[in-house]
Amino acid sequence: MAPPLYAASPEPARADSDWILARLVQPPPARTSFVELRGSKLLKKPLRLQGEYLRPDVDTLVRQVAAPYVETTTIRAGEVEIAREGKTPRRFSLARVPEMAALQASFGALLSGDRRLLEQHYRLDTQGTRQRWTLTLTPKDPVVLQKLEAVTLYGSGSELRCIETQPVNGESQRTLLAGAARAAGTVYAPGALATLCYGGAKAQ
Amino acid sequence: MKLPPMTPRSRLTLALLWLAVLALAGWWLGSRVELSGDLRKFMPAAETRAQKLLIDELGEGPGSRLLLVALSGSDAQTLAMQSSALRERLLPQPQFKLVANGGDSGLEAIPEGLRPYRYLLSDTADTHRFDRAFLSAELGQRVQDLGSPAAALVEPLLPRDPTLETLKLAEAWQPANAPQRLHGVWFDRAGREALLAIETRAAGFDPKGQQTAVDAIRAAFAEVAGNSGSRLTLSGPGAFSVEIGGRTAKEAGWIGTIDSVIFVLLLWLAYRSWKAPLLGGLPLASGGLAGLAAVTFFFDGVHGITIAFGFTLIGVAQDYPIHLFSHQRAGLSPWASARALWPTLGTGVASTCIAYFTFLVSGVDGLKQLAVFTIAGLGVAALTTRFLLPGLIDPTPRDAADSLRLAELWERFARWPRLSGPAYYLLAAAAIAIAWWAPGPFWQNDLSRLTPVPAPALARDAQLRGELGAPDVRYLVAVEARNAEVALQVLERLQPALAKLRADGAIAGFDSAARYLPSQAVQRARQARLPERSQLQRAFNGAVSGSAFTADAFDGFVDDVETARTAPPLAPHDLDGTPLAAAIGGLLLERNDHATALVSLNGLRDPAAVARVAKEHGAALLDLKQASESLVAAYRERVLLALALAWVLLIITVWIALGQPQRVLRVLSPMVLTTLLILAVLRGFGVELNLFHLVALILAAGLGLDYALFFDHAGDDHAEQLRTLHAIIVCSLTTLLVFALLALSSIPVLRAIGSTVALGVVCNFVLALLLVRQPATRKAVNT
Repeated sequence: MAPPLYAASPEPARADSDWILARLVQPPPARTSFVELRGSKLLKKPLRLQGEYLRPDVDTLVRQVAAPYVETTTIRAGEVEIAREGKTPRRFSLARVPEMAALQASFGALLSGDRRLLEQHYRLDTQGTRQRWTLTLTPKDPVVLQKLEAVTLYGSGSELRCIETQPVNGESQRTLLAGAARAAGTVYAPGALATLCYGGAKAQ
Repeated sequence: MKLPPMTPRSRLTLALLWLAVLALAGWWLGSRVELSGDLRKFMPAAETRAQKLLIDELGEGPGSRLLLVALSGSDAQTLAMQSSALRERLLPQPQFKLVANGGDSGLEAIPEGLRPYRYLLSDTADTHRFDRAFLSAELGQRVQDLGSPAAALVEPLLPRDPTLETLKLAEAWQPANAPQRLHGVWFDRAGREALLAIETRAAGFDPKGQQTAVDAIRAAFAEVAGNSGSRLTLSGPGAFSVEIGGRTAKEAGWIGTIDSVIFVLLLWLAYRSWKAPLLGGLPLASGGLAGLAAVTFFFDGVHGITIAFGFTLIGVAQDYPIHLFSHQRAGLSPWASARALWPTLGTGVASTCIAYFTFLVSGVDGLKQLAVFTIAGLGVAALTTRFLLPGLIDPTPRDAADSLRLAELWERFARWPRLSGPAYYLLAAAAIAIAWWAPGPFWQNDLSRLTPVPAPALARDAQLRGELGAPDVRYLVAVEARNAEVALQVLERLQPALAKLRADGAIAGFDSAARYLPSQAVQRARQARLPERSQLQRAFNGAVSGSAFTADAFDGFVDDVETARTAPPLAPHDLDGTPLAAAIGGLLLERNDHATALVSLNGLRDPAAVARVAKEHGAALLDLKQASESLVAAYRERVLLALALAWVLLIITVWIALGQPQRVLRVLSPMVLTTLLILAVLRGFGVELNLFHLVALILAAGLGLDYALFFDHAGDDHAEQLRTLHAIIVCSLTTLLVFALLALSSIPVLRAIGSTVALGVVCNFVLALLLVRQPATRKAVNT
């Protein structure tokens, strides 16, 4: 019996980092909504933020929080500016928050498809299929490693659905993007949000 | 003085012995001399307020201690890392007061023990009560902070500091006009160069201190940069002085080497003896060492300028042995020859030395040093020529009078017309007219222009200064008060007025001690506005329960406020040993019964407006450039006064020595006209005169006096005239070549001295021939 000639394989195509990076490229200007959950031992319950990430140009990332309050953060050339209504903007260096810096760098590199830049700062590790993939970034810089264990991206096809940041100390912070963020529109329970983030890519 | 004649061998041995003694003395002196670069010692006493501040308190403005550093040539992130690494390496070195690259968060500025004082240092209490409404609003902001990218930064601070005064202070203490920060450190506007501002402990006028600082920075950068290809740019007064000092030393060095070679060759050629240069150099070297020794003995430290001026002035002593050589011939004992020359030589030396005595009464330490140096130097050079050298020279050299070529030359000179009285006065009047009416300023007071910084370096400095918001080197506002507290209060009143000037664009920014440390009066007012412990606890509990924070999130806040409320207010000395002390140190100078607070300015556009505002608030705008120029002018006035007196003394001395008014007039006339002619030429070419010209003019006058005295001494004896001509040609040629080379230098100081003396030698020689020479008729026909 002749083997089936190039029949559609029942096995879905495996995702590799080149394939993922090529999908994620988004020339500026670009925007995507997000839902973020922020936990702290100082707070009674995690903070749930909703808003949009904007990338007006290659070097700039803007984070606009719409609820529960309005706040705009602009990240550019290693510097952060946080603006709130009625307050003078506060500025600080990303260098002082290495985990933030790493996240920002990866975000920018991802959106511009700059694999070289990404690999300069991280070890890349891909898992899953093209339909449901995870890309784990492990920092190379020892200074960053002291604060940040890994950044994991969860996606489906060309959609980056969630970024999970795992600090060395403390709880992981999740940012749901695009479709996941839309799906999370009315979801508040942390467990449910985590499920949405992983999208089935990771067992609970 | 009849001594048994010595063999050539023993003469040479003695000469070498003399040299060895000099070398030994030089080595001993070199280890003892304390060379000072401190301009204060060379300047007259300060009189105006700005001069006093410049001389007594600052040395120079705080801006002059600042080195501006730019790193370029690599990508921004690499440069940022190198900037941080450079700072880490330089920070622990005691020679640096401040190493700022923008990377300092400022959180470390308050030591643990002083942390509660944040409530007195920050102005929050001025406008807010720590009540429930205020605290609730603050907690609301903190929740947002935790949801923002700043969360990791803020979270560790929160338990003790829910109102984030620590961050507020850190922001307030950032330099007023700090450049943009990229990747955690300062960068220029284009984002291509990482910038640092480094303050040295050594003053701007301390070349040695600046040199070590610059070397340390370069060494640290070399380690940091490795082979990344990054480049270091160093700017600022200290860096300039180091670079120019190095260039001047290098150029003076090679000119000196060529000069020595020329001197040796000329003397060897003139006397056909390789021993002539050795013997000829001994009196001058002895004089120089004697001068140095005398200054070391009478003064605490020798100023670098004393040595430079001093060696220039005693250069005339080089001629003494030459006269002895040229007059020596077979059949004449060198001792007898020296004795015969002594009245002439002695007159020149004595009158010059007596003239320099006037510097002793000038009241300026530097000039007194110069007087002691030159008097001792010339005296010793003359005495060794008279009493030591005759024993060492070859008693039977070729007689200069036997030279046919010299005789021919003299014959030709004899045909030159003598300068008549009317022609002399006409020439003098023309010279005076040119010197007086030539356009352009007569004097140059700006010492920095003597050692000019190349224009591209200056432009780069201005650019870096603008980017870094570095303080103005020239202007600053000074507040004088009876103590630091009063000074701080004045600064606090001045603050809003300066802020308005900044808003109006008269200045781009300012910095004062009040930005770091409020006066105790303000601290007490803030204490009065802080609530009592129980009251605060109640208000805070209410605020926390209504917030998203857990009840036990904050620990220590209430304690800190209570400590701040009841502690004694901070005084400047409480900050000793903290990073804040470095920031305040240069801006608040405390003496026993007096305090001076400085406001450094940057981007100053309207000095008049600032001066007005400063005056309204009991402060003053100081122009340090003007102050230093006025000091230079005052110094020059003393020199001129001393010179006028010296002139009178010189005439009296020459008069006493020569006896006849006619001869006195004849001897003095070449040097007077030479001085006028030099002035006319320099002024005619638009040269602004400075102290170095003045010193060079004195040397030229001394040379002129000597030439004239010797021509006069030769009388009408033909052979004696030829020997004198020989001596003076050798003298003037050596001097001319030495100084002509200096005149070609690219360094204005060396050029000023070189051109003036070279011009003086030519004029003096020609004028001595035209005015002083005796008719050479009688014997000339016989040859």
